[in-house]
Amino acid sequence: MTQLIGGFLDVLNLSTLVWIAVGVTVGYVLGVLPGLGKATGVAVSIPLTFYLGPVAAIAMLIGIAKGSTAGSAVSAILLNTPGEPSSAPTALDGYPLARQGKAQKALKMGLFASVIGDFLSTLILICLAAPLAQYALLIGPVELCAILVFSLTFIGGLSGKSLTKGLIAGALGIFFATVGLETETFIPRMTFDLLELDDGIPLVPMAIGMLAVAEMAIQAGNMRALDMEMAQIADSGNPDDRRVTRDEWRRCAVPILRGTLIGSVIGILPGLGASVASFLSYGATRKASDDPDSFGTGRIEGVAAAESADNAVVPSSLVPLFALGIPGSVIAAILIAAFVLHGLTPGPLMFEQNPRMVAAVYAAMLCASLLMLVIGYFGQSLFAQVIKVPMRLIIPPVLFLCCIGAYMESGSVFAIWIMLFFTVFGFFAKKLDFSFVTFLIGYVIGPSIELTFRQSLQILDHKWTNLLVHPIALVFIVLTAVTLVLLARAQTTGKNARTKPRPTGAEPQPSTQGRNR
Amino acid sequence: MRRANVLSGAALAVFGLLMLIFVIPAQIDQGPPGMMSPRLVPSLMMGLTTVLAVLLCATNLRSVEDDDGPISRAELLALGKFGVLFAVAYAGYALIGPLAAGVVILLGGLLMLGERRPLYLVLLPVVVLGGTYLLFYRLLGTPIL
Repeated sequence: MTQLIGGFLDVLNLSTLVWIAVGVTVGYVLGVLPGLGKATGVAVSIPLTFYLGPVAAIAMLIGIAKGSTAGSAVSAILLNTPGEPSSAPTALDGYPLARQGKAQKALKMGLFASVIGDFLSTLILICLAAPLAQYALLIGPVELCAILVFSLTFIGGLSGKSLTKGLIAGALGIFFATVGLETETFIPRMTFDLLELDDGIPLVPMAIGMLAVAEMAIQAGNMRALDMEMAQIADSGNPDDRRVTRDEWRRCAVPILRGTLIGSVIGILPGLGASVASFLSYGATRKASDDPDSFGTGRIEGVAAAESADNAVVPSSLVPLFALGIPGSVIAAILIAAFVLHGLTPGPLMFEQNPRMVAAVYAAMLCASLLMLVIGYFGQSLFAQVIKVPMRLIIPPVLFLCCIGAYMESGSVFAIWIMLFFTVFGFFAKKLDFSFVTFLIGYVIGPSIELTFRQSLQILDHKWTNLLVHPIALVFIVLTAVTLVLLARAQTTGKNARTKPRPTGAEPQPSTQGRNR
Repeated sequence: MRRANVLSGAALAVFGLLMLIFVIPAQIDQGPPGMMSPRLVPSLMMGLTTVLAVLLCATNLRSVEDDDGPISRAELLALGKFGVLFAVAYAGYALIGPLAAGVVILLGGLLMLGERRPLYLVLLPVVVLGGTYLLFYRLLGTPIL
């Protein structure tokens, strides 16, 4: 608690608060624009934080992540086009509400649910990460290697439609992580005699290329149809249709709390992601309702359930990162680069080595939640105008910022080449459904996997039977095998079900993917 | 998607084999005796990728799923246009300087995407380039070039 108070003292100054506010605002705008999500925003912004203090820099990036998650509801409600796939269930009831002239009501409830979910989930992070980290310190290289392999398998299996493709993405991620000087022998690996590659492939240009530039290419390909989708949403004249009434608060309280719980649990589990959480929460609220059939026609509870879960995922997804050093989501993977850059190595040791900084990060996260409420509430109608800007005016500045972001990483044009290489890679990965999330996480944890694998071989004396004296590792190896079998069976069953002819008149199943512009 | 899976699986399998047979042995030395070979993890990952790629190819060859192409012509065209835009921007950077590259990306990007209104063609590059200058050189006080 003392550390947390110290953390608040570090954060509660004008400079840091302004940077958090900038982060939340930028994130909100990025979230409103379909296709430009939190991962893109954070990846592009990391180089911009080089010149900020550590607390201000991390606080700003966290502000972007939080603001973007909340902002994605705006386009979901106004355009029926989620800013991020995780806001797709928000559109199910938010868009009908907007069509009824209740856009302001839906936007406000979306914001309130987002802030509550985010704030409570941050508290869960604060309560859980440090105690979990104490257990993590008892884990040795053999156990850590098994846990990392299990996490990557789990993420690979769940982050796309195909287990095989997920595993390929993870393996490629680890492969690319081996480029550069090998840490024990200093032998260059796949550097092609390029000195720039001796330190490995830089994460920031890679992430910018895969996430931002590749997404812009896809958006540019669909630009004409997307611009035509812009709808004119007229507000109702009734003041009650522009605010959240007491009765609506009463009806939404339980869905919000349920959504927060679902989002927090899903966030802690690596790989499941915000889309799973928001759909689960929406489904649970619909199921618990007296009138489930009315969902999809403009029920405010649907918006509250989806948005609270969506936003609860962001803070809780940092639990495995802080406690174990394992990024459970793409945003956590990208944030690792920012944390390391600013002197904080995520993992169990950071609570011992840098408690004040961790406390400042927690304080910044709580402040970001509150600033999100203020900025979202007063700026919502302004941010809503952003969706009316045609994509052709958005794409060139984004490309320009991507180049600056990549260039600033190393101060060299080589970083832009890296960005362009991974743009092509990311474009095909996205379109062919090879999980780029698994690729990036594989890339980030690749060095740890290799190091612990080497250490494990020495500790085990190259004899697999010695694993018997490492029961935790054994448990995770068994879990990995079970996960592989279960996921493979589930996907085979799902595929068989899809290929069977549907009976006449059967309703199509709702997609779990958001309609990305 | 089936055809795309077969093609991507085949391409990845060929890529994996090429890496395993030619690139990894040529690009990574064996390392000193008594130490774990630096080739071990890259080879393991490429081997895994190759096996999984063959599996992807084989399972989709047997599949009877629908065969919608996942990539539209417009998307491929946009990717190609981006390639041209960055090539011209690089030429601008190499021949003139970073400002030219910035102008090419902004102005060329607008033209490439169909913007023809002179006001926007002038205003957007000025605002973005001016804003970047103000942010880095004035507000943060750190020249980036």
